[in-house]
Amino acid sequence: MWSSDLEERIREVLAKDMERASESLAGLEDRVIRAIAERAAHPSLWQRMRERWLAAFSTPRWAFAGGAVLALVLGITLGRLLAPGPVPMSAFAQAGTLFAVVDPQAQSVAVVGDFSAWEPIPLSDPDGDGIWTAVLDLPPGRYEYAFVVDGNWVGQDPQADEYVRSFGEYTSVRYVGTGGGA
Amino acid sequence: MISGELELVQRSLEGDLEAWGEIVRRYKEAVFGVAVAILRNRADAEDATQEAFIRAYERLYHYDLSRKFSTWLFTVTANVAKNMLRKRRRPEPRPPIAQVADPAETVWREELHQAVREAVWGLPESYRAPLVLRYWHEMDLAEIAQVLGLRVGTVKTRLHRGRALLRARLAERGVIPDVVQ
Repeated sequence: MWSSDLEERIREVLAKDMERASESLAGLEDRVIRAIAERAAHPSLWQRMRERWLAAFSTPRWAFAGGAVLALVLGITLGRLLAPGPVPMSAFAQAGTLFAVVDPQAQSVAVVGDFSAWEPIPLSDPDGDGIWTAVLDLPPGRYEYAFVVDGNWVGQDPQADEYVRSFGEYTSVRYVGTGGGA
Repeated sequence: MISGELELVQRSLEGDLEAWGEIVRRYKEAVFGVAVAILRNRADAEDATQEAFIRAYERLYHYDLSRKFSTWLFTVTANVAKNMLRKRRRPEPRPPIAQVADPAETVWREELHQAVREAVWGLPESYRAPLVLRYWHEMDLAEIAQVLGLRVGTVKTRLHRGRALLRARLAERGVIPDVVQ
């Protein structure tokens, strides 16, 4: 179990370290302004080439090309956003613990949790029916976990025993072989 | 945007270096914090902090005034620091942020703080940076993702993993009990 007291220690240590380390930042404003003025007075070859390139490619035809690419990206993004979201589903399997997600649109699904030090364990969908599964051999105990579907965190599994909030987001909790939650 | 900040940014866009100097004064510690979270080395983080402010000034015309200025500035900083990390030839140095223990603290507290300090700064950059941004900058997950150029899901995974690693290292040192499932 993660201790809120330990989290407080982390904050204290970082606050102290940052305070001491930042003492060397005295006068940074002056150094930055001098450096900016120096660069403006003597631009590097790279800066001169960059400015010429930017000026050359600010014509409308490039704006149209950029707009077309942007429209394509927006179209793909909207398509993904409007698609039905994943429907997590899980059940207890006698030979192991089954983790399952139903998402016909997904390209990759993984489960992350205490049992894997939060390294992703891929789920598979061999017959392409949109049901992604993995069976894990877990010793009895309490496990926090979540799914990652196409890079997106899915913290609440409807089949979980309970939910907890970590870092402001939900993760699921499963009790394996212990008779259930507290 | 913080009060007066919009005016400072607009004046900077018009070439007012004094206005940009005020931005530097307001944000230098926070920017340093982002740089050191990635680089761990104080000297490198100081260089990255200076370079980040210079680069941000040069690219200020890219900044969208409707967005949160600090997030944009921290994103520039993270990119500068990550570039520096990639170019670093020598192995990542030992945690230089480690400080001399305060003699006024109890022995136990000293040991705990030192253990936590070494565990945090000893984490690999991919876990350390999100952790520092969360616990020192108190950024929310979306902002951490934006600053580091990661998906929110990736940030969450790395925070959990970083925390698990911290827990394991502190348990090894006997600072906290071993994790029991």
